[in-house]
Amino acid sequence: MRIFIAGAGEVGTHLAKMFCNANHDVILMDEDEEKLKQVDSHFDLMTIVGTISSIEDLKEANVKSCDLFIAVPPYQDMSILACILAKQLGAKTTVARVNNHEYLLEENKLFFKKLGIDELIYPEVLGAKEVKASLKQVGTRQMFEFTGSKLVMFALKVRDNALIVGKTLAEISAMYEKQEYNIVAINRDGETIIPRGQEVLMHNDLIYVITTKPAVKQVMLDAGKKQFEIKNVMILGGSRIGKKVAQGLEGHYNIKMIEIDKDKAVRLADQLSHTLVINGDGRNLELLKDEGIKKMDAFVAVTGNSEVNILACQLAKKMGVKKTVAEVENIDYIDLAENIGIGTLINKKLSAASHIYRYTMRATVSHVKCLIATDAEVLELIAQPGSKISKGPLRKLNLPKDVNVGGIIRGESAIIATGDTEIEPNDKVVLFALPSGIAKMEKMFS
Amino acid sequence: MLNSRFIFLVLGLLLIVEGVFMLLSAGIAALYNEYDLPYHLLSSAICIGVGGTLAFVFFKAPKDIGKREGYLIVTLVWFVFSLFGLFPFYLSGAIPSYTDAFFETISGFTTTGSSILNDIEALPHGLLFWRSLIQWLGGMGIIVLSLAILPVLGVGGMQMFVAEVPGPIPDKLHPRIKETAKRLYGIYVLFTIIEAVLLYFGGMTPFDAICHSFTTMATGGYSTKQASVAYFASPFIQYVMIFFMFLAGANFTLSFSALRGRFSKVIKDEEFQSYFGIVAIVSIIVGGVLFYTKGADGLEQSMREGLFQVVSIITTTGYATADYLLWAPFLSIIIFLLMFFGGSAGSTGGGIKIVRVVLLMKNSYYELKRLVHPNAVIPVRYNTRAVGQGIITNVLAFIVIYMMIVGISMIIMSIMGFDLDTSLGAVATSIGNIGPGLGDVGPASNFYNIPNFGKWFLSILMLIGRLEVFTVILLFSPYFWKE
Repeated sequence: MRIFIAGAGEVGTHLAKMFCNANHDVILMDEDEEKLKQVDSHFDLMTIVGTISSIEDLKEANVKSCDLFIAVPPYQDMSILACILAKQLGAKTTVARVNNHEYLLEENKLFFKKLGIDELIYPEVLGAKEVKASLKQVGTRQMFEFTGSKLVMFALKVRDNALIVGKTLAEISAMYEKQEYNIVAINRDGETIIPRGQEVLMHNDLIYVITTKPAVKQVMLDAGKKQFEIKNVMILGGSRIGKKVAQGLEGHYNIKMIEIDKDKAVRLADQLSHTLVINGDGRNLELLKDEGIKKMDAFVAVTGNSEVNILACQLAKKMGVKKTVAEVENIDYIDLAENIGIGTLINKKLSAASHIYRYTMRATVSHVKCLIATDAEVLELIAQPGSKISKGPLRKLNLPKDVNVGGIIRGESAIIATGDTEIEPNDKVVLFALPSGIAKMEKMFS
Repeated sequence: MLNSRFIFLVLGLLLIVEGVFMLLSAGIAALYNEYDLPYHLLSSAICIGVGGTLAFVFFKAPKDIGKREGYLIVTLVWFVFSLFGLFPFYLSGAIPSYTDAFFETISGFTTTGSSILNDIEALPHGLLFWRSLIQWLGGMGIIVLSLAILPVLGVGGMQMFVAEVPGPIPDKLHPRIKETAKRLYGIYVLFTIIEAVLLYFGGMTPFDAICHSFTTMATGGYSTKQASVAYFASPFIQYVMIFFMFLAGANFTLSFSALRGRFSKVIKDEEFQSYFGIVAIVSIIVGGVLFYTKGADGLEQSMREGLFQVVSIITTTGYATADYLLWAPFLSIIIFLLMFFGGSAGSTGGGIKIVRVVLLMKNSYYELKRLVHPNAVIPVRYNTRAVGQGIITNVLAFIVIYMMIVGISMIIMSIMGFDLDTSLGAVATSIGNIGPGLGDVGPASNFYNIPNFGKWFLSILMLIGRLEVFTVILLFSPYFWKE
């Protein structure tokens, strides 16, 4: 698939790298040669110096042969304009990044479609959604629901106090008559392992579990996670994500928001009527103490500065906050932050990437989720009639080593997969795959 | 740490490729039923055997490579290809000296075309074919070929592509390096076939047509005849060769655009304009002076002789239909200066490359302007875009290093007892991958009489020139080996 990425900012470069690794033909355009050079020397893609809103430059770059046009420049006006032009010039699907919530409303979809923009993404909103999801399920690092919320996948850190640490996966599944959950991957010291039955869980493993909704409690129990209800949330940073989170949580939780900029704080206070907006520096411990950080159940650090977010979360942890969420935009820090135990990490780029990713997949894919702290993906694939995957029980199919089937959604019911499970046509199959395995699995499903 | 296991793996795989190509010349030897057949097969077996062993042993090598591995692989591949490529010549006894065989082979791969053979026609067809084929392989590049056919080089392929393809700013024809390489070879093969057919219709035997087509498209210059192209008196053949030499010396990316019907892109390209301009003006001058000095030959023949020599030298092919050393000194000097120009970036030609010369000239001219307006911002424009200072610096460094190498090498040649003409000519022609030089190594003579050390030394110069100086020189810099 030929993918044109307009704008080599953070999101653009990340998408370019990701698609490049997934073996797509990537063209990256930006005005700034320096930005392009960085990517060009390390990845097998074509970079073009040009203005993304210039018809001539787009023509020159042969935009008409592109299957997917993604506009992620710094300004939304430019992004919308570029998509309109690209569509007129012959790009098949266009995706624009915006930062105005109105545009995302269902009633405006048709309008943008008419203009030639097939999809709008708003990474901050996606980021805010992830924050909200993680606050709903305490104890987990990341949580993701599949079709109809029947299956959920989440990541959690297991420590010595967990029942399942020190056991092999085979022993864990033997604890139950019917398989309740599947551990599809383990992230140990920054390395992602697709475990087999003999793998032993260790202290400080980050495990990815796929299970049904009702079984979540059981998993939490086994993983030694105490359940507690979140009432008080402190948000550090009145960024777009911060604002979106506050708007979404207002009314359900007590929210305090700390913003360093006076004018911004005033504006936020005006817009967020049920949130207590505090003007001050979140790195100041006295201020945090004054605002009762010890009584907080959750601490969400979403300033524009990844370092501040990580450090503030560390501080909050030390003060006894159980659930911390940090926005880490610098992808190289993610491993680090994961290791020092900052609860949930969110990353706008990865959120946006997950969202766009499905456009590059074949029709068999109904859901994709890129994971933080590993380059693996969770996919929901539909088994086509006559496909290889629906021929016999899983253990006999010779599945690739870099893939693990977690569960199956068949009609209204959800099944946790075991070696004996047989996949029927039109089943939705949730699986965990390393990048090397994705293409192989796509083939098996079609 | 260098990922040496991967380097060995790549070398192994490429040796297998070389062995397979040797089978082609074995086929020719079989066709003509000549004595060299077993030697081709033996050489091929050596290549495939050694290559296969390396590939098998290092099959599981980690695939991640950086810039350093990239440069090292490219230089080593060219060197190793020449070391193994000499076997057909050496084993068959056609070239009894190992040094001579190496010189002939690397001169082939680097598309230089300087020969040590005193009687080319005495060689059997199989060896003549191999001699042309190695030029053809070296023309578009061994790494480019392997990028197109071997999936293993996908990672880090861009590094090696940049290290091998001539020119300061490599163009891509497709987002993927593999596809770019395939397209480049596609055009290359297409042009080679067209030329071979035309030459055949011009009266060459099919064998000569194919061999000459190989060495024209590669801007190599090996002929199957002792008298080079002068053997073929047909004007048609010479015009066909002029046209294809010119094409091979132009950027293949432009040929690709032209084939897709985008001629405006070709005409607007600044390097192409300069290339065309230089060839046209210099040919007219040379042809004119030739007509004036020895008018007996007629205008058409003088012009053709001038054009052929000019195109042959500027594209660094090195065919000869006339001995330019016998011309008026004014003309010999013009021809000598052309040796430094070379073809366009992204062509199969050697030399400094037109684009660098254009950038150098422009920058020098603007430098004068900058002296008058010290605070003015005067970017060097190329193809309507401002060129970054980094590229200008790179071009200047390239030319300085190139000239330094020429200077030092001349001294080394003179120590061996050669006069100014011969030293200068041998060095300029070797580093520029041209073929004939001046003095004792002019178009009418060859490199047989150079001592062994000189042959090895010139061989290295050829490699330095083919890989555009930096790739090879880098390996001799301490920065390269420092962790």
